[in-house]
Amino acid sequence: MENLLSEKESLDLIGQMISTAKNNLQKGIGKIFLLWGYLVAIISLLTFILLITLPPETKYYAYYLWFLIFAAYPVHFILVKNKEKEKMVTTYIEKVMNWVWIAFSISILVVVAGLLLAMVLVMPAFTDVRPGHEFDRWFQWLFITPLMLCLYGFALFVSGKAYAFKPLSTGGVICWIATFIILISIHHIHVLAIQQIVLTISAVAGFVIPGHLLNYKENHHV
Amino acid sequence: MFKDLDPLLHSQLRLAVMSILISIEEADFVFIREKTGSTAGNLSVQIDKLSEAGYISVVKSFRGKMPRTSCRIMPAGISAFEKYVDALGGYLRPK
Repeated sequence: MENLLSEKESLDLIGQMISTAKNNLQKGIGKIFLLWGYLVAIISLLTFILLITLPPETKYYAYYLWFLIFAAYPVHFILVKNKEKEKMVTTYIEKVMNWVWIAFSISILVVVAGLLLAMVLVMPAFTDVRPGHEFDRWFQWLFITPLMLCLYGFALFVSGKAYAFKPLSTGGVICWIATFIILISIHHIHVLAIQQIVLTISAVAGFVIPGHLLNYKENHHV
Repeated sequence: MFKDLDPLLHSQLRLAVMSILISIEEADFVFIREKTGSTAGNLSVQIDKLSEAGYISVVKSFRGKMPRTSCRIMPAGISAFEKYVDALGGYLRPK
């Protein structure tokens, strides 16, 4: 088949092909959002409940609940693998966005690794935590929630703008507002509990709702 | 008549393939076949021609047990495409 084209037909064909390729939404992202969203929402809600109900000397152990987050990784990689299997096309936007999310994960890793080392190695060597002053041992974790939320808001906002999908960028703005609330309440006596409940709300607004909307979009091709 | 138009691009299917690849990073053979509505045999002939000219690169791999062919545009292809569009514009502009 060697159809010769007129100039007009050539241009029409170019325009038509470019737009079909462009409107191809990546499938399977919604499930990844739901996995992290529900897990973060549940863990932060349980941590919040434990922080307000446990006695002061043991309540900080509620943070050990966050080790449950590692359970998400195997599922995450299975979902990513399935997504790659179905994928027929990679757009430039997807390539850039993949790097934004990889950069986000590296940022989180740096923060978590730094804080863990501070707690395990540096703190026992340089500080003497007396009974009744457990807060001294845990206070560094004050920084993890606002840092993560701020970074997450950034990645989410950029994704929303890149894919022209408003629920994502709105989720990003909500994460930034949440970061702001957490930071202004940093001297409040219940700062830790406030952080966890704000995190629950952000996880719902930033992961769960966009996740369900993405799934809906994938299944209904809107 | 079309002396300025690259004959390699001035064919319906090859132009369609190039138009898809110019707007994305990488595309699967199946995706291109669906979007262009062509037959696998014809598409693979045209893709070979584009690939021999250095306009696109074709990578054959396996995804699990399924063979997979993916295509991406090369710098030579991008500049040929730009020249082609430019030449088209020349024909359409009033003289």
